[in-house]
Amino acid sequence: MPAVTDEELVRKSKEDDERAFGELVSRYESKVYSLALRMVRNPEDAEDVLQDTFLRAYRGIKSFQGASTFSTWIYRITANSALMRLRKKQLPTVSIDNADERETPVNIADWSPTPDEQLLNQELQHEMEEAIRSLPAEFQQVFVLRDIEEMSNAEVAEILDLSVAAVKSRLHRARLKVRNRLAGYFSESAKPKRRAMGVH
Amino acid sequence: MLTCKEVLDSLSDYLDADMKEELISEVKRHIGSCSDCRAEFDTLTMTLKLYKHEHAEPTVMPVGCHDRLVKVLELEKLRSKGAPPPKMV
Repeated sequence: MPAVTDEELVRKSKEDDERAFGELVSRYESKVYSLALRMVRNPEDAEDVLQDTFLRAYRGIKSFQGASTFSTWIYRITANSALMRLRKKQLPTVSIDNADERETPVNIADWSPTPDEQLLNQELQHEMEEAIRSLPAEFQQVFVLRDIEEMSNAEVAEILDLSVAAVKSRLHRARLKVRNRLAGYFSESAKPKRRAMGVH
Repeated sequence: MLTCKEVLDSLSDYLDADMKEELISEVKRHIGSCSDCRAEFDTLTMTLKLYKHEHAEPTVMPVGCHDRLVKVLELEKLRSKGAPPPKMV
């Protein structure tokens, strides 16, 4: 027997079929939790986002027009809920429109050949975590949806209600900001070794 | 011929292969001959590799998370039907 489609479950949910809405919850709760966790980066907040998302979906299902798929709609609610939570917690940051990218390369240290064992250490993982936390919330969203969830630019644009050009711009700047922070880590971590080797 | 600034601005699109083939060839050529832009490209590539590696494991919902969600939705159903809130124990 073919599985019931999301569209059918949405139609039934609009007619107050609570089992149908329950089935939508079962289908998407893990995905919503996963996305929320990657955006807010702690389990307690992720669970709050999960509950908030499905509460909003339950209250709004009758006004869901079906212009997008249910999955896009539920991810959009998740992203908005996560964004509000991140904004509450974040210190004021510079406007995301204030570009701070360099216009020309400035002889950056190339740490890309770093041995794999060093790349997996906890200190580096912590640095990566901090680099992502320090991104403006709007950058974190694009970074997670594109580089972790591996959605297309068009999908991310639809979920975040942005143009594809804006998604690409934010993604590029988010990647650079994280990379620049890691570059700082590698240049610091290289210093003791140089001293130990008698290099000044 | 592309300038360093043009190459830097297009590195993400280049990484994602989200540009015309002729432009991909030009960026590739520039990176091959400019050590600074190559370092920019290599470290950006490594950043994404690290980030993806860290998030490769699927996330699992905590124990009880599903039950708490169901409870919240049940309370919302009661509330929307005008039922009095249940007594807190």
